[in-house]
Amino acid sequence: MLAADHYRMKLENKQRGIIFSFNGFISEGILFALGKALKRKLSVDEVNAGTMKRVFSVFVEQAQNIIRYSAETLVKDDLVDSRISSGLITVGREDGRFYVGCGNVMHRVDARPLQDRLEKLRGLDAAGIKAFYLERIRDTVESTSMGASLGLIEIARRASEPIQYDFLEIDDMTTFYCMKVFI
Amino acid sequence: MENLYIPARERSPEVDFRYQENHLALRGEAFPEDAAAFFGPILKELAAHCEAVRGQELLVEFQLEYFNTSSAKALMNMIQLLEASARGGTRVVLRWAFQKDDEVMREFGEDFATELEHVDFQLVPV
Repeated sequence: MLAADHYRMKLENKQRGIIFSFNGFISEGILFALGKALKRKLSVDEVNAGTMKRVFSVFVEQAQNIIRYSAETLVKDDLVDSRISSGLITVGREDGRFYVGCGNVMHRVDARPLQDRLEKLRGLDAAGIKAFYLERIRDTVESTSMGASLGLIEIARRASEPIQYDFLEIDDMTTFYCMKVFI
Repeated sequence: MENLYIPARERSPEVDFRYQENHLALRGEAFPEDAAAFFGPILKELAAHCEAVRGQELLVEFQLEYFNTSSAKALMNMIQLLEASARGGTRVVLRWAFQKDDEVMREFGEDFATELEHVDFQLVPV
């Protein structure tokens, strides 16, 4: 029974083209280790360098967004590197294209501004996204923000189509948010 | 100023700032856990060196394979410092080296070049 359950899970992931799927608390250390395994897997599969770099970049920005912005987070003594946050992140391949997906619980008040940013990005073409990136990087160098807005623009820049996203209200305080990005 | 050398690590680039030779280089990958903690002191030294070499020649070399957005901000900060320095009369050459098939890094070089008016910017495929 135990083996059958786990094997079914493994098979389902395989059928959905999933390279790996992580669900739970993620730290900067886990981000690094997963990223390294991802690069190795893509390199064994002889994925071209440009695609590999795009997949890796979207993976890093999504994982860092979970670590920094998930509402389920634990941080010890205010140390950045001690932070662990809950979320899920998946890298897979569908119809020959790679995708990186992520999800986490967030504070409900932050959902609307995030949705606005995602919608704005969806409305821009490649040239518009590039111009927006430059505008933001110029303006935010002095800011104290940890960089999420620029991270989203980077994700949009590496995507081959507009970012898919969705929100699910959980209760008065929290919303589950996810995105799926095709490279 | 004492030269600054930080070897490349898994998530941070090699920093090779040879102040005596006015030759500063950054090579490798940059996605440190805490970009502000990594780049903060480097930016401070760069600002001090720019001040010290006013009117002289300064060669800066970036050869990066990957950087995340937090590091991109720090790079932008450096580039703005160099531009200010060049505007003040220092002859700054910024050499942006990239693997010739790496369009992402080439495009980043072009992006940063749009900030530069007084710096001699060179995009170098290697």
